[in-house]
Amino acid sequence: MPSIFEKAEPYLLLTPALAILLVFLIFPLFWNIYISLHDVSLTTILREWEYIGGTNFINLFNDPNFYTSLKITLMFVGGSVALQFGIGMLMSVLLHQQVKASGVLRAIFIIPWTISAVIAAFSFKFILDYNFGILNYLLNEIGLQSVGWLSDPSIVIWSLVIANVWYGTPFTILFLTAGLFSINPTIYEAAVIDGATKIRSFIHITLPLLKPFIVIDLILITIWSVNFFDIQLIMTGGGPLFASTTASLYMYRQAFEFGLLSKGASAGIVLIAINLSIAFIYHKLLRR
Amino acid sequence: MIQKTATRSPNVWFFAERTLIYALIAVFLFITLSPLAWVLSTSLKPNTEAISFPPKLLPENPTIDNYLFVLTDPALARSLINSFIISLGSTALSVAVSSLGGYAFARFEFKGKNVIMSMILGLFMIPIVINIIPLYTMLANFGLLNSLIALMLTFQILIIPLNILLMKNYFETIPIELEEAALIDGCSRLGVLRRITIPLSMPGFAIAAVLSFRFSWNEFILPVVLANRSDSMVFQVALYQFISLYRIDWGYLSAGITLSLIPVLVLMLTFQKQMIKGMTLGAIRE
Repeated sequence: MPSIFEKAEPYLLLTPALAILLVFLIFPLFWNIYISLHDVSLTTILREWEYIGGTNFINLFNDPNFYTSLKITLMFVGGSVALQFGIGMLMSVLLHQQVKASGVLRAIFIIPWTISAVIAAFSFKFILDYNFGILNYLLNEIGLQSVGWLSDPSIVIWSLVIANVWYGTPFTILFLTAGLFSINPTIYEAAVIDGATKIRSFIHITLPLLKPFIVIDLILITIWSVNFFDIQLIMTGGGPLFASTTASLYMYRQAFEFGLLSKGASAGIVLIAINLSIAFIYHKLLRR
Repeated sequence: MIQKTATRSPNVWFFAERTLIYALIAVFLFITLSPLAWVLSTSLKPNTEAISFPPKLLPENPTIDNYLFVLTDPALARSLINSFIISLGSTALSVAVSSLGGYAFARFEFKGKNVIMSMILGLFMIPIVINIIPLYTMLANFGLLNSLIALMLTFQILIIPLNILLMKNYFETIPIELEEAALIDGCSRLGVLRRITIPLSMPGFAIAAVLSFRFSWNEFILPVVLANRSDSMVFQVALYQFISLYRIDWGYLSAGITLSLIPVLVLMLTFQKQMIKGMTLGAIRE
């Protein structure tokens, strides 16, 4: 007969984890709303917070830089997701074609994802430097002009996409590789006997079976790209001016560069809405 | 390994296909490794050579001075130690807490089980950066900015949801009959855990620990906001300070970069096979 203790046991086991998540993840999520309805800046943070209603949101939507940041987010996320997924899919499938030393190759391909975004950002900042970066040097060698990878407002965001693709693609490789290994190889043998070509069996067998992995992978890399700003902060600080300030970096800069914590918090709430819409759209489009 | 092509007889198309596959892989291999190789090469150059133009592929006068600078500079050395303290503490805490939670999901039926599970999965989707402003105001009001303990606790939100899922799946691969048999033989609940469940779960703990360490060691945004005073700074933030402090010293910086990627790299390469297996488990069972 189960005692009271035995009934309570699973809850007791879960308590530490849930307590930490509640205090540091769930509560702050709602606390965001409270901050966004008050006037809080880095200088007034320890004083009484004045309630100002929707003023922060009005300021936010009257700020042209905010719209710029939304547009830049779209470019950054679109470029990053398309390239990360495309290259990641290609590489995980290629590595699955009885390639020699595929285990070692997979281990090497995962390296960029195991290191920190700080390292990825600095490495590319160094390579793309206008004056002594090796990329401009190579361009000059073949007779081309130096490119302002990080200083030209119309190019800078694509330089950041390159760095983010280098950094993020390994996750898709790792994740889709796990998916490919979960497919029973005998299915392919049957297809080969039936005379199916590789491309046909990829489209008709691999893709459908891989779909759950593809859906989760796309949701994760999209949401991560929307919210990610380590690379932008280190490589350009969002500049020149706001040319590489994505919405997530906009939130950070408002709060910790200009000290406007509550304006940042209201941008954070817009970000939450964007995240929820992404998850919802993918869910509707792909889960069927 | 999947036997897809071996049964076919070699022909021209087969070799063309193989060549294309290896060529594409070689290109990607180059793209993956060259930025890091370039940083590694720079870290071994004297500072004058580091930003010389035209750049030299290999250091002409290799030196470990840059490494000595990073390791002996008091602020940087301090931040390295801080990073180790925080990462090890946060890893231990995360594995302990997530294992308890994972065990509850794997071995018990209880009210609200599914609701709590989907809530935890949902939390994995919540981007942590959205919480930086509320976390900052919370910790500022409690006077907990620049506290290593507070940092360890906040790092948990990066990793607990994933680790609970991982540990739950791992515990489920251990046949419950083993535990029941031991109970019948007169082993206590605690004895079962100590003699059977925990030893059999060691590979699961290892994956969870590697992931926790990777997230804690690499995390930049949370510490740059919550702990940027020199005595509580972690190594990633100290590297970032290179931008603002002086004109970037690429020789020193690249040495710092190389040092900071060693611990995680060693761990991940060691446990690479288990990581893929862990991910497969995680996704299939969902």
